[in-house]
Amino acid sequence: MLAMDQGVVEEWLSEFKTLPETAISSYAASLKEKASLVPALYKVIRENYSDLLEPVCHQLFEFYRSGEARLQRFTLQFLPELVWSYLSVSAGRNPHHSGCIEALLLGIYNLEIVDKDGQSKVLSFTVPSLSKPSVYHEPSAIGSMALTEGALANHGLSRVVYSGPHLQRETFTAQNRFEVLTFLLLCYNAALSYMNSSSLQSLCQLSSRVCICGYPRQQVRRYKGINSRMIVTSEFLVQLITGIHFALCNGEPDLGSKALDDVLYRAQLELYPEVLLLGNAIKSSLRGAALKSNKEGTRSIQVEITPTSSRISRNAVTSLSIRGHRWKRHESQENSIDSPDPPLGPIPTISVTGVSGERVVNGEALRGRTEAETLGGTSELGLDPRGQEVRRQKPRDAVDLGSPEELMEISEVDEGICTQAAVKEGSPPIIVVSSTNVTPSIGKTAGKGLRRLTGSRSSKDKEREKEKEGEVSRKQSCGRAMSENLELLSLKRLTLTSSQSVPKGGALSLSRTASAAFSRSFEQVSNALGVANRASSPASNHSPKENRHSACSLQEEAYVDHLSPANVSLQLSPDV
Amino acid sequence: MTARKSGSRIETEIERCRSEGQWDKIPELVRQLSAKLISIDDVGELLLGEMKLQQFLKENPPKQNCSPRAARPPLTEARTHLTNALQRGNLRPELQQEANVLMGKLCYVEGNYSEALTHFSCVNLDDMQLSSAPIYRLAMIAEAYATKGLCLEKMSTSCPPSSAERDQEIITCYEKSGDIALLYLQEAEKALSAGMQNRSPKPGPISQEQELGFFLETGLQRAHVIHFKNGNLTCGVGRFREILRAVETRTTQNLRMTIARQLAEILLRGMCEQSYWSPLEDPPAQSPLDEPQCSHTHTEYTLPRRARIYTGENLFCPQENTEEALLLLLISESMANRDAVLSRIPEHSADRVLSLQSASVVYDLLTIALGRRGQYEMLSECLERAMKFAFEEFHLWYQLALSLMAAGKSARAVKVLKECMRLKPDDPTIPLLAVKLCIGNLHWLDEGECFAQMVVDMQDKAAEFRAKGYLALGLVYSLKATDASLRGVQEEYQKKALGAFQRAQSLAPTDHLAVFYLALQLAVSRQIPEALGYVRQALQLQGDDVHSLHLLALLLSAQKHYHDALNIIEMALSEYPENFMLLFTKVKLETLCRGPEEALLTCKHMLQIWKSCYNLTNPSDSGRGSSLLDRAVADRRQLNAVTLPDFSDPETGSVHAPSVAASRVEQALSEASSLQSSTPKHGPLHPWMTLAQIWLHAAEVYIGMMKPAEAMACTQEAASLFPTSHNVLFMKGQVAELRGNLEDAKRCYEEALAISPAHIRSMQRLGVILYQLQRFSLAEKVLCEAVQLCSSSHSGWHSLAEVLQAQGNMAAASECFLTALQLEASNPIMPFTILPRAL
Repeated sequence: MLAMDQGVVEEWLSEFKTLPETAISSYAASLKEKASLVPALYKVIRENYSDLLEPVCHQLFEFYRSGEARLQRFTLQFLPELVWSYLSVSAGRNPHHSGCIEALLLGIYNLEIVDKDGQSKVLSFTVPSLSKPSVYHEPSAIGSMALTEGALANHGLSRVVYSGPHLQRETFTAQNRFEVLTFLLLCYNAALSYMNSSSLQSLCQLSSRVCICGYPRQQVRRYKGINSRMIVTSEFLVQLITGIHFALCNGEPDLGSKALDDVLYRAQLELYPEVLLLGNAIKSSLRGAALKSNKEGTRSIQVEITPTSSRISRNAVTSLSIRGHRWKRHESQENSIDSPDPPLGPIPTISVTGVSGERVVNGEALRGRTEAETLGGTSELGLDPRGQEVRRQKPRDAVDLGSPEELMEISEVDEGICTQAAVKEGSPPIIVVSSTNVTPSIGKTAGKGLRRLTGSRSSKDKEREKEKEGEVSRKQSCGRAMSENLELLSLKRLTLTSSQSVPKGGALSLSRTASAAFSRSFEQVSNALGVANRASSPASNHSPKENRHSACSLQEEAYVDHLSPANVSLQLSPDV
Repeated sequence: MTARKSGSRIETEIERCRSEGQWDKIPELVRQLSAKLISIDDVGELLLGEMKLQQFLKENPPKQNCSPRAARPPLTEARTHLTNALQRGNLRPELQQEANVLMGKLCYVEGNYSEALTHFSCVNLDDMQLSSAPIYRLAMIAEAYATKGLCLEKMSTSCPPSSAERDQEIITCYEKSGDIALLYLQEAEKALSAGMQNRSPKPGPISQEQELGFFLETGLQRAHVIHFKNGNLTCGVGRFREILRAVETRTTQNLRMTIARQLAEILLRGMCEQSYWSPLEDPPAQSPLDEPQCSHTHTEYTLPRRARIYTGENLFCPQENTEEALLLLLISESMANRDAVLSRIPEHSADRVLSLQSASVVYDLLTIALGRRGQYEMLSECLERAMKFAFEEFHLWYQLALSLMAAGKSARAVKVLKECMRLKPDDPTIPLLAVKLCIGNLHWLDEGECFAQMVVDMQDKAAEFRAKGYLALGLVYSLKATDASLRGVQEEYQKKALGAFQRAQSLAPTDHLAVFYLALQLAVSRQIPEALGYVRQALQLQGDDVHSLHLLALLLSAQKHYHDALNIIEMALSEYPENFMLLFTKVKLETLCRGPEEALLTCKHMLQIWKSCYNLTNPSDSGRGSSLLDRAVADRRQLNAVTLPDFSDPETGSVHAPSVAASRVEQALSEASSLQSSTPKHGPLHPWMTLAQIWLHAAEVYIGMMKPAEAMACTQEAASLFPTSHNVLFMKGQVAELRGNLEDAKRCYEEALAISPAHIRSMQRLGVILYQLQRFSLAEKVLCEAVQLCSSSHSGWHSLAEVLQAQGNMAAASECFLTALQLEASNPIMPFTILPRAL
């Protein structure tokens, strides 16, 4: 340490002691001008054996205790360096221990965990909710929200504690070490905007070193110092990553991204999901924003004029367009109801074509499924063990009347009215999921379906029916669904034959409303449908497979159960 | 206004066409108009000029960042019309203003910026009436401000010495333009919806989505772009907030989505709690966010009319940067979600990429905001909504899996991780995360083995993770060994576990966990000296690892070095003063070394620690309930010890009357689910279970002191917390035994076994009691079962030997005695298996 630095530090030490109470705030403002002071203090902290360390720590604590925000921040800027100094000493199990740094850290901690009245401080924040109006939105404009369990349980605003209350600590122990350090970093992060670049650099260094010491990566980084592994906790790493994120975006892209990589590396080895989540998100969100340090400013917050019109082409099917789509279809249904002979009215038919010929992999089966579901039905796209797509037509109303909630759940943006209306009127949209390679098995399936329809239900079916009944008995409309079942089935037969005789009607009404994508696939399928209808003209109905998904199980299964082919085939096997 | 005065149908129609931008109808209308009145000629010129200009702009929309310098025929035509209109000077003042403004715009389009500015100086834009102006005029004024700003900017770039004053003027122009544009859009939408209602029977023109032109877009956005370019974050954020607070219109939806996201980005990347100010507060005079050199003179201006903003009672206004970021992101998310492109036909792949990009940015920011605050529960729900974008998108799947894991929804996390593995089969972290869950509270050992094997099979691709893979594999085998009921199977798994741990240790010699588990495995199979060697090695690598220290103490106790063990425990406790596991072991050791009085003091100390630790726990900390499914799974797993919640009770730790306890249990059962998620995932046992355990340990000490009354009182305390716990019933049985009440004891043990059929100690005691009741064959059967379940317990073998002896089966009895003797020689004070085995 140079004599000059020492002089600067000594001057700083003596200066504050003689300062009258009233001059503190002007003194705090003047600290910025002492350019050589901060580097000199870093040197003192890094050099563990300096005689100045103890008075410096003492003075830094006095700064913190003064309550003057600028003085507190002055102390805080050294926090990463102090933490590293403490950790490296305690990891090295060095007999020489830095008691004064420990005391300073504990002192800040004990000051910060209580509020002005000496009560334990509890840090909390309000989780905003779209269902409550705010300065930025009105709930009605957002549309209906997903009725998840959490959303219901948390209807409205709730305050959540994210830190505290904490116990006063007299000494560091292995047990409380990271609890204290995590809280200190939280305080540091709350003042990040005020930290200068040397402090941010020190934070990045701290993060890198804590994470790689003792691991093979230490060689890659060429850090020689301590080479024993340091225990970390996931909360501590989360706080580090928050600081690194700020450093990354505010002038320290190189050190920051290195530190981020190192923390992620460690998080992978420790299998900390919390840290991985945050780190992955930061990485991915910065991938878009170019991370070059622009010459004019240090901040990488760049805003450009963006076109306000939607960049998504109009005829792509989006969640929103599907919502509008359903409304229109609903209107056309109303018309058909108004016509004198409801059952003979045109039935709009929506169809989704499966990929023909190819073997459908799980993901695709899933995709087909979700697509079809979002369209309003719960058609099942399945695979039989031979890997061929099974063609199955499943009229929604025949089985699903019991659970309108299910539909609500499937397309979260759906208006409730639409579904309910559809239920009441009972003029069903038919969902066809088909592959164009019509297999001869259709006739068989149809025959089976017919047998079931005409009442000679196998005992197995009845059992399942019971199961189903039990499942939906909670739901209001269940009873009606069961009683109307037969009636609707007969209705279905009528409507199908009618659509066969006047297939164009349905097609037209649809092609007007449907987007380009759908009308195209409709044409394909209306052909296929024609074939199918001819093949099974007396019955005209395929087995209305019971929908065995309850509303709550569906959510789970929608993307989980279908991941493995075993599950899919298992689920279908009784019927295939 | 013309329209209102004359009431002429044509003029109304003209106004409507101008507002709706139906320029192609204008010539016809102008023809009709001029047929009626001759003096209106100038108006006609104005309209035609406007029409030409607008149609040109429609066909050649100007682009950002490039100067439109192209005088083409239609523009000269427009210029002629407008010049005609202006020259004669017959126009009413408002129309004169309009003509000038249009001329200015035309000049800008042609690239004559200074000429444009002279036209703008002819009209005082601030004088143009905003209130009761027709809609098209609002747009015109907004565009005029924007154009003026553009011209000023172009001029200042061409002649560099730009003064702060000039800059400020430019910004004010844009800000005014933006404000009026917002007003215009709101009014336009109002008119449109009114028009739709009036004209509903007619088919009418399809309500096409209104598009902001170049000028309005610039007006709305240029101001904040300049602010940020100048490094003036405070003003930029202020401008963002102003735009966002204006009531949404269809046209501004996309803008709002973008701005909300950008503002959230700034809040998360560039702000901190201390530098934040809320949207309804005045910004701080001096902020660390701004570049030091940027000017802070932000001129305030007033407009006679402003866009409507969100108002109402109890409006939520964020008070913290994370809150505001979250609110903005939720708004942005709801819009991004609407734009999810669902169809997968190749034609829409570009759209899919777009919608995915805009959504995943929002979800990443949501993750950052919620992750910082530890709200993993909510995060997992948000990411679930992202799944409509997630087909074959690894990042989204992975993030969902991680959030489920962090939220404690283990079962689903494993299933989602499986999909992640399919998408990225080379990443060793994913199966390792899955193993961690499987051997954690899920206890899915077969799946766990499968995942661990995947990591091991990756060979060199897994690099450093291979050691972790072997460690995981070893843990699975070790747990399987504990679960196995057949001795042969047990030994086989123990061998496999040892092999795996050794492999892990050789791959990562500096990993203390590998060495520790190796030691633990050796200890479990009673190879005490070897285990001691390894545990010392582990302690060299990681001196203050609590489990290694604990294992060392247990190993020393197995060698009957009770005092050394106690010293180690006390040393460990100096580093981990609140670790109840260590304290429980300490109680046992103290009973042996220093007598039960000391042990009782430790129990008292434990009660004090418990109180100081958990009395602090905040009632609102209980978190949000996890999903039904995870709850159900968790409940099933914890059936043998129903967890008791009720953090909010102030008198925790005090004595409860049994009746209070009973009602509390009922209450607890109804609430039990809400607590599951709040238990610290890696932390010690649940606070209430810990308390019950403390009482039971005290009871045991009293039993050792032959004090049944005190022991019963302690047991009763535990029973008031967990009346149906097998541990409590077992202790009751012990007390009954102490009192000589064999029938009662037998009933207690049987009840304990009914609750937890594999509870070894109850089984052993039941066997002993049956033996004392002279029911030898039954005793033998029970004890045989006990020995089979836990072949390393010497007391089981001992009791079995006694029974066999009583039955006269001397050969078998002596063998059992021998086994008991051997086992006793290496018996630790607490079973080794109390040490957690987790990744």
